[in-house]
Amino acid sequence: MDALSYLITGPMVYLSVGVLVFGMIYRIFRWLSVPASPIRLGIFPKTQGVSRTATVVRDTFLFPQVAEVNRRMWLMTVLFHFALLGVFVGHLRLLGRFPGILEAKMSESAHLAGGTMGVILLIGTLYFLFRRFKSPQKELSLPEDYFLLFLLFAIILLGDHLRLFGHIPFEVYREYAYGLLSFRPALPPALMDSPQKIVFVWHVFFANLLFVYLPFSKLVHFAGAVATNGIRRG
Amino acid sequence: MAVSISEQVRDLLKEKMNRQLLYYLDICARCGICKDACHIYRATGRVEHVPSYRAEVLRRVYNKYLAPLGRLRRDYGEVTEEDLQKMYEAAFTCTGCRRCMVYCPFGIDITWLISMEKAVLSSFGRVPEELSMLADAAVEKGKSIELYREIMAEQIKSYEPELRARTGMPEASIPIGEKGARVLYVALAGIHSILPAAIIFNLAGEDWTLSMFEAANYGYFSGETSKAAEIAKRIVDEAEALGVKEVVITECGHAFRVMKYLAGGWLKRDLPFRVRSIFQPFAEYLRDGRLKVHTQITEPVTYHDPCQLGRNGGVYEEPREIIKTICTDFREMTPNREKNWCCGGGGGLVAQTDLENYRAETGRLKAEQIKATGAKTVATPCENCRLQLALLNERYDLGVTITAVTDMLVEAVAVPAAKGETAEEISR
Amino acid sequence: MSEHNVDLELDLRGLACPLPVVKASKSIKDVPVGSVMKVVATDPGALADFPAWAKTSGNEILDIERNGSEINIFIKRMK
Ligand code: HEM
Ligand code: SF4
Ligand code: SF4
Repeated sequence: MDALSYLITGPMVYLSVGVLVFGMIYRIFRWLSVPASPIRLGIFPKTQGVSRTATVVRDTFLFPQVAEVNRRMWLMTVLFHFALLGVFVGHLRLLGRFPGILEAKMSESAHLAGGTMGVILLIGTLYFLFRRFKSPQKELSLPEDYFLLFLLFAIILLGDHLRLFGHIPFEVYREYAYGLLSFRPALPPALMDSPQKIVFVWHVFFANLLFVYLPFSKLVHFAGAVATNGIRRG
Repeated sequence: MAVSISEQVRDLLKEKMNRQLLYYLDICARCGICKDACHIYRATGRVEHVPSYRAEVLRRVYNKYLAPLGRLRRDYGEVTEEDLQKMYEAAFTCTGCRRCMVYCPFGIDITWLISMEKAVLSSFGRVPEELSMLADAAVEKGKSIELYREIMAEQIKSYEPELRARTGMPEASIPIGEKGARVLYVALAGIHSILPAAIIFNLAGEDWTLSMFEAANYGYFSGETSKAAEIAKRIVDEAEALGVKEVVITECGHAFRVMKYLAGGWLKRDLPFRVRSIFQPFAEYLRDGRLKVHTQITEPVTYHDPCQLGRNGGVYEEPREIIKTICTDFREMTPNREKNWCCGGGGGLVAQTDLENYRAETGRLKAEQIKATGAKTVATPCENCRLQLALLNERYDLGVTITAVTDMLVEAVAVPAAKGETAEEISR
Repeated sequence: MSEHNVDLELDLRGLACPLPVVKASKSIKDVPVGSVMKVVATDPGALADFPAWAKTSGNEILDIERNGSEINIFIKRMK
């Protein structure tokens, strides 16, 4: 295996997952180490107990208010994030088999479901990117916003290619992932000798970059969203 | 070596950092969804009126100096005098309505960020002169109030004939600063805020006394928290000295919110009395039959939820209950309650006389909303809102009457006024 | 009647919060230093508000007259 492919799909993965994990722990610790202001200024009407929790969960994952003021953005955001979740769950199959018939079902639907979610992600990313070229999002954007969307675009584009046109059996990727988990990273021969190798290596490369950058970017919102939504209802 | 503006802002930000602020600075996705919720942006379409953009300069300093890896980012420039000016305009042209917070998918409180900007600006001495001056005068009044008790009490007596006529009660009075009363009523500067409430309190047989202070808190608007606390403390001290059970705040948005939700935090103690909005006892009087409605209003009436009383203060139902009892044709605005459009007058904007045209422009959605109800009367319990609505009434030809809820209640339950004897109409 | 030479008279009767003091402090800038502005108010609170405002803004209250429910305040611009 050539050195660059090895570095990207081996050591760099460890490094970037390490940065992701420790970076996120650091970010969460940083939030919790600053005292919260005792002044609680949630929006009324306020509810308590279970119904407050339900509202916070609903606000965090569905934010229905957004649909009232910007339907398109709401649709895109919800589709994008649920597709992201789906793709994430799909990737978990790399790390092990799902129990019982779930594995067979997922395997059966992987091409269609994974492909659909991949396309949604691609469209979503492009939509988010293009709306940032227009005022007022243009002025509101920081370079980081474009950088993140570019990274996502690259990861998703390459991932979609592998999913839809790669025709490499899933077992091959799983073999690679098991190798990573047992600290003997290597690309299986079926991938090594495939013309898709280069696509795969770049997919992993951009994903690594995202992992490294994520704890230092606005994407930490995935860890803070429940808390801020809680403050609004508190 | 002189400390740069950026470094000064950084140090203050560091000193005043709290968890909420850190979350908001870290996780805003800069998606801009909040723009669709803000009446100001909706009316002007200008970038600087996008809610999250109002925190742009603050965010820049944070990203450059305090965020992890901030120093690696070369794209965040130094804060200049111009940036301070930009921050000033951002902070002091927002009404603080917090409608954006209702709609932001993360629930980010832009006004929380703006409070920080105001703290920064006040450390550079950049505070709207009018707000700061009002705050100073209020603090000063607190220091010398004892000198004025007698003369104010005497002055207030000049309104007792009218009070007695409207209540039909020869013993009706306006007690001021009286020990042992159950309720301390805090009004605004102006007899129009005292007399109608006095009529109701007397008719309902309430054991009340009038505060020597007005409820408004301009330190809160100017963002000078130490002054704001000082101003609130005058009333807290007075209530404690009189030993009242309850402080009732007049029809005013921010005054109720300040006393109920902020004052305790500023003064770092629990207040030994209950704080209620005037509507809460008034609705009770009606419910308990302590007030008898003799005249109902038949013209269509609508109600404007002041942001500080509704969305930010939690008083939605009692004013509606009162209005529905005394009016036969009540019409809701759409949207209402926590989603109601801000009138454009809050945040101390009505006190800044140079913002009149801005207020007229940014009140457009409110004006359209009022028109759509077809109501002839708009009742609203905040004097800032009423001033703003009066401006909109004129600029958008709404042809409505703008009134306080208490004034309507007085017409429904008190002895009808003889000609020329009404409390003066409130004017601009 | 008061003996002051009034340069500007300001009618603040029935004004909503917080306009009385805002208007007064705007208008005092329209009279020359050393001259007198008369303010007419009906708010009992004005009896304490104006002295407090004068003190913080560095102006001087010359006189306060009470006339039924009307209050006349004479303010001398000092700076
Ligand atoms: C609890 C989990 C999460 C929640 C509740 C959440 C919620 C949100 C919300 C409300 C927005 C703003 C609306 C928008 O710009 O579309 C947003 C933006 C975004 N989220 Fe998430 N998110 C979560 C997890 C993630 C994760 C794990 C990623 C990782 C890739 C991610 C990527 C993004 C991106 C790239 C944007 C910005 C789109 C743009 O720049 O316009 N989100 N998220
Ligand atoms: S404040 Fe909320 S709605 Fe506004 S840009 Fe930030 S995340 Fe989006
Ligand atoms: S608080 Fe109100 S005025 Fe201020 S930015 Fe938010 S929506 Fe706009």
